[in-house]
Amino acid sequence: MPSASLDALLAAGPYALPQAEKRAILVERTRELTRWHYERCELYGHLVDRIFGGRRALEFDRLEDAPYLPVSLFKTRELRSVASGEVVKTLTSSGTTGQAVSRIHLDAATAQLQSRTLVKIMQHVLGVERRPMVFLDHAGVVRDRRSFSARGAGILGLLPFGRQPFYALRDDMALDLDGLEAYLASTRGQRPVFFGFTFMVWQYFVEALERLGRRLSLPGAILLHSGGWKKLEALRVSPDEFRRRAQAVTGIETVTNYYGMVEQVGSVYLENARHCLQAPGVSDVIVRDTNTLEPLPPGQAGLLQVVSALPMSYPGHSLLTEDLGVVEGCDDPATGMHGQYFRILGRLPRAELRGCSDTFQKPAPVPA
Amino acid sequence: MTVTAPVLQVRLLAPVAGAQALTPLLEALVEPGEPFSAERRETLSRLSRAILQDAGLRADAASVALGYWLRRANVDRLAQDFDRRRAAAPETVFVPVGRVFHVAPGNVDTLFVYSWALAYLCGNLNVVRVSGQPSDVLARLLGVLSAQMEDDAELARGDRFITYEHDQAISEALSRWATHRVVWGGDDTVALFRGLPLSAHASERTFGSKFSYSVLAAAAYLAASEEAVDRLAAGFFNDVFWFDQMACSSPHLVFWIGPADRMDAALDRFHGALSREIERRRHRGAAASALHRLSFVFDLACETDLRAELAHPEFLAVRLPDGAVWRREACGGGLFTHVRADDVTQVAAFGQPHDQTVTHFGLSPAELATLARQAGTRGVDRLVPIGEALAFDTTWDGYDLIGDFLRRVTVRAGPQG
Repeated sequence: MPSASLDALLAAGPYALPQAEKRAILVERTRELTRWHYERCELYGHLVDRIFGGRRALEFDRLEDAPYLPVSLFKTRELRSVASGEVVKTLTSSGTTGQAVSRIHLDAATAQLQSRTLVKIMQHVLGVERRPMVFLDHAGVVRDRRSFSARGAGILGLLPFGRQPFYALRDDMALDLDGLEAYLASTRGQRPVFFGFTFMVWQYFVEALERLGRRLSLPGAILLHSGGWKKLEALRVSPDEFRRRAQAVTGIETVTNYYGMVEQVGSVYLENARHCLQAPGVSDVIVRDTNTLEPLPPGQAGLLQVVSALPMSYPGHSLLTEDLGVVEGCDDPATGMHGQYFRILGRLPRAELRGCSDTFQKPAPVPA
Repeated sequence: MTVTAPVLQVRLLAPVAGAQALTPLLEALVEPGEPFSAERRETLSRLSRAILQDAGLRADAASVALGYWLRRANVDRLAQDFDRRRAAAPETVFVPVGRVFHVAPGNVDTLFVYSWALAYLCGNLNVVRVSGQPSDVLARLLGVLSAQMEDDAELARGDRFITYEHDQAISEALSRWATHRVVWGGDDTVALFRGLPLSAHASERTFGSKFSYSVLAAAAYLAASEEAVDRLAAGFFNDVFWFDQMACSSPHLVFWIGPADRMDAALDRFHGALSREIERRRHRGAAASALHRLSFVFDLACETDLRAELAHPEFLAVRLPDGAVWRREACGGGLFTHVRADDVTQVAAFGQPHDQTVTHFGLSPAELATLARQAGTRGVDRLVPIGEALAFDTTWDGYDLIGDFLRRVTVRAGPQG
């Protein structure tokens, strides 16, 4: 489907469009996508008819008025806007053992759109030159190429930006320090990129090095990490502490987080110089009141809705997440990046509706 | 070699004492009292005052209702019922059933007091197992009971409020001790306790999971005055929101008896009044409730042809079109499903054995009688006006609780001299 609005968003580059201008184009693109999925995904059509009032919901002037789906729906329902034969990749969310996982169906066009966008965003932090790349994970996580976990998808998404990939963990998650040092020696002076999931980086890299009493010296390198703070929150490790201790033990100055989800691969939110997450041109966030679900102005905390211009093979262009966040500002000259930026404030606690039958329930297992 | 059984430990909550070995705790409970004695009635009315004077409990509507239920006038009314019971059975002496083990539910913090108070009035020794889930209301109620035990010898002697984590051995020991076991807390808890033997002479009452709904006459509702509609909204609010719609008697479905062309007007009026009530009380539910309702409705809408209205703060209204299959969905946290019915017979046909409370408005005495007979046969236990869903009654789930807590001794005098 040719789309002038998508082309305009892509052509401008990730952080070039001022917020107001970008919003206007993104609204147009979101209208296009809403109609697209309404006509192609039967279940999505039902939901718009049954919950958002039908066809009239396809016409909206504000992004806040676009229909949205709770992100959890991808865990219980198959939502697809292309024939099953068109699906080239199915992504699944990481999810703790025993929990339902999201299943996201990608066709070639959407997959390509996602990687093209990710390139533009990642070049902003990594530059255009391909650098040696160290994954803080084990190689097994990307072995099955048809079906990927969120961790695998994240690594495969990053793979094209580097060369000579090296997996720094063994299958048992132990840090392969000898292998890593040999790799770093062979790529000396080439400013490698380290990538991993936040919790894995913390537990199997930063803490492992601290325990071993080893300090690396990697001044020109970059450490990129992503994947949620839930486990670090439980350990009471703040983003500041994470950055400080990672910098101290690796000597890496540029430690950059990004926020993204398997339901919207490609349109990720990079940490900017203010340590806030920056919306790129192809996506944006809306913050909603946790009780009324009404949109909130910047500065007020609530539930995050993420809107992306990319998803075409599945109706994931407008999703209500379970994350709490607050928009801190937009078009900041200090960072040189246009668009809104925000902070994540954690995960909305699960509904604590007490049933009468829970008197003798055993305590819920702690997620691994 | 001697094998010693492990000491069973429970946490005593009232009188406050912390960890306690179960065996001596049970051995200390001797000599039941006299049903409806003046002392026992006085204990309850003192509790009533203490609850109504506690600042934290006064802020909790359900605790205020409990405080009123325990006040002297109401306890005297129960005593009069008991006098009538005695008068109607001149050849019966009523004695306490003896040792009652109460298992309280996890969602309605006040319920353990109702269950205990009736058994206490009947003269029994009581061990009450309350939920271990942290709750301010529960802690305050136990605090009030503990304080009163300090200068109420009869209460301190015969009643223990405890908690313990799921532990089969403790539940077994308490079940062996009891002469009557009363299990609140739904199907799972009931199933768990059904596996634990009681003494051969003991009796038991169980309260499984229940489903409740409302029935309104659309024409009567549309004809009602503004004040009546507001009062009804206040009552419906209490029925739904006191316990996050998780109490067994909180309605999930709302049946409207009337023609299809009156539905829009009736629902608009109903939602408007409920929204005003929510606004008036400045009610804010738990942070996660809205997303919980929303996710539930999206999932439901994938397979049910419904119409949802997302516009209302604090509740989510779903409407099933005529002809859609009526579903028993209990989401909780402020979600209800409106359905239209031609008459009460059609509503009654929906009945299931686990139905409990029908809250109603605008039904004629004849319609109520029909619904009671038809739905009652299938399972419904009570039909009460909207606003009274959570009002406790000594008849619960169709059972006479006072009767449960008493034993009847038949006495026939022989010829004199």
